[in-house]
Amino acid sequence: MKNDADRSQRSEKFCVTILDTGERYVCSPAEHLLRAMRALGRKGIPSGCHGGGCGVCKIKVEEGEIQASLMSREHISVAEQCEKVVLACRTFPRSDIKLRVLGKMQKSVVRRYGFV
Amino acid sequence: MGVLRLGHANIRVLDMDAARKHYEGILGLIKTHEDSDGNVYLKGWDEWDKYSFVLSPSDKAGLNHVAFKVENDSDLDHLKSAIADYGIEVEEVPAGTLYACGRALKLNIPSGHTMYLYAEKEYFGKAVGETNPEPWPDGLLGMGVRWLDHTLLMCELNPEKGINKVAENVKFFSEVLGFGLSEQVMVGPDGNIQAAAWMFRTSTPHDIAFVGGPERGLHHCAFYLEDWSEILKAADILGKRKVKMDVTPQRHGITRGSTIYFFDPSGNRNETFAGLGYLAQPDMPPITWTEDQLWRGIFYHTGEEAGEFTSVYT
Repeated sequence: MKNDADRSQRSEKFCVTILDTGERYVCSPAEHLLRAMRALGRKGIPSGCHGGGCGVCKIKVEEGEIQASLMSREHISVAEQCEKVVLACRTFPRSDIKLRVLGKMQKSVVRRYGFV
Repeated sequence: MGVLRLGHANIRVLDMDAARKHYEGILGLIKTHEDSDGNVYLKGWDEWDKYSFVLSPSDKAGLNHVAFKVENDSDLDHLKSAIADYGIEVEEVPAGTLYACGRALKLNIPSGHTMYLYAEKEYFGKAVGETNPEPWPDGLLGMGVRWLDHTLLMCELNPEKGINKVAENVKFFSEVLGFGLSEQVMVGPDGNIQAAAWMFRTSTPHDIAFVGGPERGLHHCAFYLEDWSEILKAADILGKRKVKMDVTPQRHGITRGSTIYFFDPSGNRNETFAGLGYLAQPDMPPITWTEDQLWRGIFYHTGEEAGEFTSVYT
């Protein structure tokens, strides 16, 4: 907690680019990539639980340094994480970031039967 | 006779310290035990059994099991036969398999979720005691939720492949476990596909609910608050603590409950649920929601999907 507070006091901000759409936004080291996007009203990465559990915000970090916290192995394997395939809601920037979106929202698919 | 109520839910969490801060500090559950494997046992202040909610450390979020309490030990024998006769595999596990519980039945319900049935759980007592009690105790943290109210399980629904685990669960819970059906959502061209169902053994509109989705999972565990004012204060607490909210205070058409949906630090969805809704009784005719009004049923005010209600779960 202290480290997070120290970092935010430095008010360092990094630029995040979503390569799929060209969207760009700023994110502090203490904010995860999804939170910063949502807080600025930007779109591009599917937003779900923000806890690393549901898996919809899966991304691949193509360029830049990140720090990732715990995320469900149901959605991200150790091998994937080594390749910087991560959940945006568990990923904190340590430099400018360029990423691609891998997650897809189920609801973007046609619904034929109420919820599915 | 038979099933009394939802006894507990056991969920998986990625970070136990964060989970405890959430469930104890924000929801206000009370820790009653921690075992050598790091499982943490919690209860609401108005519950009398030793625990109703178990956090298990894991590298995956989601549900381990749900457990229902039955009234008498002999009910377990009757239910074991009835479950086996229905064609579902059921195993009896000895006392202590579930912490502080007597012998239990373990089975997978038709949707594939693991369920236990038990008759005995160690007594702990309400926070206000049982003699001349005050209406609520001092020293509660956060929302001070009262009890585990219900759980909603996501069940595989794929009509084109002939798969409807919602309907299979409803049949099993009705015919074998003696649950009543309070409400249902019927969809499809002929309105004959049961896409969601709310079922009860207590006198509330639901102790468990099933909603159709692409795959099995945990949609949410819900904790009881008294009324709208407690719901609104709970939302303030979530805002203050920057908890990821899925749906801000709302009214359900189905069950008529007042609600907030939000996520724990591992991404498991929680609900705070307030209000009795109505008296549910076995002879009450089930309420049906049609496909064109199903979102009115879920979120009564807007009649539209809010948050990521059915597309995001663990």
